[in-house]
Amino acid sequence: MEQLKRLATGIEGLDDLLKGGLVAGSSYIVQGRPGSGKTILANQLAFNHVATGGRVLVATLLSESHERLFQYLSTLSFFDPALVGNQLQFVSAFDTLESEGLEAVVKLLRGEIGRQGASLLIVDGLLNARSRAENVLDTKKFISELQGHAAFAGCTLLLLTSSRLDDGSPEHTMVDGVIELGEDLYGARSVRRIQLRKTRGSGALSGVHECEITEQGLKVYPRLEALYSHPSSPGSEVLTRVGTGLASLDDLLGGGFPSASVSLAMGPSGIGKTSLGLSFLAGATVAEPGLHFGFYETPQRLRIKAKAIGIDLPALEKSGAVHLAWQPTTEGLLDGVGARLLSHVRKHRIKRVLIDSLGAFARLATNQGRLNEFFRALMGELRAEDVTVLATWEMRDLFGSEINAPASELSSIVDNLFLMRFVELDAELKRLLSILKVRDSEYDPALLELVIRSTGIELDKAFVQASAVMSGTASSAQGA
Amino acid sequence: MSTILVVDDEYVIADILGYALEDAGYKVEKAPNGKTALDVLEKVRIDLVITDYMMPIMNGEELAKAIRSNAQFADLPVILMSGAQASIGKAIPDLFSAVFDKPFDTASMVARVRAFIGVAEAGRDTPELQ
Repeated sequence: MEQLKRLATGIEGLDDLLKGGLVAGSSYIVQGRPGSGKTILANQLAFNHVATGGRVLVATLLSESHERLFQYLSTLSFFDPALVGNQLQFVSAFDTLESEGLEAVVKLLRGEIGRQGASLLIVDGLLNARSRAENVLDTKKFISELQGHAAFAGCTLLLLTSSRLDDGSPEHTMVDGVIELGEDLYGARSVRRIQLRKTRGSGALSGVHECEITEQGLKVYPRLEALYSHPSSPGSEVLTRVGTGLASLDDLLGGGFPSASVSLAMGPSGIGKTSLGLSFLAGATVAEPGLHFGFYETPQRLRIKAKAIGIDLPALEKSGAVHLAWQPTTEGLLDGVGARLLSHVRKHRIKRVLIDSLGAFARLATNQGRLNEFFRALMGELRAEDVTVLATWEMRDLFGSEINAPASELSSIVDNLFLMRFVELDAELKRLLSILKVRDSEYDPALLELVIRSTGIELDKAFVQASAVMSGTASSAQGA
Repeated sequence: MSTILVVDDEYVIADILGYALEDAGYKVEKAPNGKTALDVLEKVRIDLVITDYMMPIMNGEELAKAIRSNAQFADLPVILMSGAQASIGKAIPDLFSAVFDKPFDTASMVARVRAFIGVAEAGRDTPELQ
């Protein structure tokens, strides 16, 4: 199979969508309303291309001045004015278009491609070409001639337009790819999106992906389930056990969590899910480090919480056995946060992760319908890295006999399920931990009482003499 | 009446500067690139050139070199107006009589033009010049 030569965009995530970059020598339309990020995408690509030894010609068919563009680009980290006028040429073809028409623009640009030795040509204001064209054939001819000259010179062509051209438009039918940028509102939150509407001759990741614009320019977060439709590695074939951090729980599980498995601890607020997770993380070593990927507690709060149960978190952090990554819930896009988790895991060769909580993670989603696929891909990728995961899930009800499982689809993603509840017994409020499910393994189904002490968490088989414990209001079996 | 040649591929800038110069009483010719500018210089008597740097076909530096290499234009003042490449222009003072960073104040440009070629006759009575 032939491999097409690629022109890497250097834009985070975009090359993943494009499976390596734009196809060199091909032509693309970048479309989106004003403010959607077309100009940033194109210029970021231009500066990145120059950094890899390319030469770029940016031609505008718009009346807007380049100086204004430079002023605005100067707020972005990739902009380097020293390259402008050298490897990067900005020329205006507006006057030529106005006074001489499309053919003259083609002639001008053909000459400029050669003069600049350009390997990338960016033409802004495609809509103006259409307005100047007398008929559809003129527009087609304009694009086809530009494509021809660019391809002949080995130059990749990017056409920018603020109009929303539809799939049947002459412009779309002619080019090799269409990249659409946009923005959607979710409540008061605005989320940028990017979509490859057409990609010829390459297995690009289709569909809509979220993106953001920061001081570094555009960042694209490919939908995790699209990026990892197959886990990137098969993972280990040997099933070992990873200590839970609690000897008594290890006993019940036959030695600990199965390695590279995903466990979910469900329970109401205050039941001790994070404490359970911190005990798990405390078992991490420098050789097999752990990661706290949290959404609620700041690192400071977490250290205090750990200290209260006898865990010296700062010492673990200092040694490199435990890493903390705090995600403020109000910030971030689902796939961006997922990618960040994977990047931490790969960077520090993490072997155990506490996700606290999976519910907060899920709330980042703008489309709840894809959560199952998202978490399936994320967990699949963590398994591929031989990471043992413990995630928490907050249940709404503190008491009551009803137990609501997290979205049924989520249960299918986790291997092991733990339920934590408050139980009233003998005029005392107790914490209960029970194992609901362990995939492919035997386990002891005893109900355990979880006692949080300053020396750590202890688990006792405290409910042997009680019944109806799971209802939340247990009664002493002896008295019955 | 003194004639000024404004060379810029960005017509908006050429227009705005052109109007300001006309208001000050100068006659203005325009060219969208260096090559057209040379054609204009062949045909029209020009007293001063104001040119952009980055332009298609022939840029401002190439234009200035062509002008300087022609003995006929040895004393013709050439002003460079540019944003990103102003530093390039400043590095070669032989080519450019003055260098303006874009965006610039048109009044200061007019003042500089006046310093080079004197007050335009037609503009002498315009109130804003007094």
